[in-house]
Amino acid sequence: MSPLELKDKVTVITGGGTGLGKAMALALAGEGSDIVVAARRAGPIEQAAREVRELGRRALAIPTDVTDSGQVNRLVEQTLSELGRIDILINNAGIVRGQQMKPLWEITDEEWHLGIDVNLSGAFFCCRAVGKHFTERQSGKVINVASGEGYRGVRGNFMYTCAKGGVLQLTRTLAITWAPHNVQVNCIVPGFIDTATLQPEEIKQAMEQLWGTRSTRIFIPVGRLGVPDDIASLALFLASEASDYVTGGFFIADGGGLAGGCATTGYAPVITMKEELE
Amino acid sequence: MSDRFRLTDKTALVAGDNRLWSKCVVAALAEAGADVAVAAGNSAQLTEAVNEARQHGRKAVAIPTDMTSSSQIVNMVEQAVAEFGKIDVLVNAADLQFARPFLEMTEDEWQTVINTNLNSVFYCCRAAGGHMLSQKKGRIINIISCLAERGLANSAAYCVSMGGVLQLTRALALEWAPEGVTVNAIGTGWFAEAEKTGLVDEEHLLRYLPLKRYGHPGEIGSLLVYLASDATDFVTGQFMYVDGGLMAHA
Repeated sequence: MSPLELKDKVTVITGGGTGLGKAMALALAGEGSDIVVAARRAGPIEQAAREVRELGRRALAIPTDVTDSGQVNRLVEQTLSELGRIDILINNAGIVRGQQMKPLWEITDEEWHLGIDVNLSGAFFCCRAVGKHFTERQSGKVINVASGEGYRGVRGNFMYTCAKGGVLQLTRTLAITWAPHNVQVNCIVPGFIDTATLQPEEIKQAMEQLWGTRSTRIFIPVGRLGVPDDIASLALFLASEASDYVTGGFFIADGGGLAGGCATTGYAPVITMKEELE
Repeated sequence: MSDRFRLTDKTALVAGDNRLWSKCVVAALAEAGADVAVAAGNSAQLTEAVNEARQHGRKAVAIPTDMTSSSQIVNMVEQAVAEFGKIDVLVNAADLQFARPFLEMTEDEWQTVINTNLNSVFYCCRAAGGHMLSQKKGRIINIISCLAERGLANSAAYCVSMGGVLQLTRALALEWAPEGVTVNAIGTGWFAEAEKTGLVDEEHLLRYLPLKRYGHPGEIGSLLVYLASDATDFVTGQFMYVDGGLMAHA
């Protein structure tokens, strides 16, 4: 058996109806995992479930708002009663561009809580809901999805950067807490990924900034936006036995962006030794 | 200045040959009350730096030194100790800037960058460390670049040299923590002297920097004095930026 095979595993993925989440769901199904797709809207998750079944795997579409811990608990209970087990949890639900850029003092309590709840509390609720199952079985994989913006500040983008920074710490803390129970907790850190959640206008702007001669905001060394499959491959590795000795790790797939970021152009103008030593 | 940041009766050795920092670094230390020994290869620059310290009423001595020579660096430390009797603060400020596409860089160029920026710090710490350990107190402050933590195309040798100093900072901080010697690093972003700008595509760079301007070498002085002072007995192994917000920025 290939170390990447997921035959007869059961994966729960939040935000699994579209974009990155759907790409991860189909990639894991392709390696043999049954998939439970959870998200708020029924339409996209039912479509994703159909596509999983076309790959010959079992699939459930369970409408879930991850900001409501009662709904998250029901998601886990229903999965256990219908499929009997959960091996892999992927916390992918999030609002990528859910916030208007406005001054800090104009952000309402509700906006703050929504941003934190969707992007951080949802992951906590899901981990809590599967925690007993994972630790009792002495087996399980949690894959969190953060963002490069959880590493760095982004002007005006408060809730998203704060919540994603929190996801990084949730990953570390849970990893060392559950390490004795053979539960691995890791985090995927995507850069700018071209998905349906980025609006066409945003993609256009991003590409202009990317392909323009001098980017001032977005710098991607490999010269392209990511595609969902770039992230799905990482999820596959972290879901499989291949990563059994890997926990508490952050896995960045961002085209090299986080490695640099010290110059607008991405490269240094040539300075010769002669000039410098004179 | 609050007394807790005074460097009165302390002796600092500023080692390095940098057009940008040396004068300002020496001025800040002398202003805070330290006597300063300045070591560098460039004599005009040395004179300038020593004059700065004397203007603040402190003792100052110039020690011409090739920063790539370990034997000259041993002599440098001996001379500083002979002059002042002790070394409380060692500032490693060597910073040879160099950029060239990786495959076009010669082995000599690579070696020169590593020797000047990294090996010199090793030589200085080794030569001055014994004095500090016997005093059961000492401050080592390495002035490096934010490129210790980030990559930049055309800058492999420079990034490696800076990253090496950062790791030396952390490793030595742990090794000498029980001995009362602290080791910290200051990370600089884009700096320029007023008369020397236009280093890169300026308009775009300035738009990119959160504070919208280059740093001035003088702005390193305050953090340097803080790290050199008795206020930082509990601070070691740290990398602190003076970068206009660059490293917080996406």
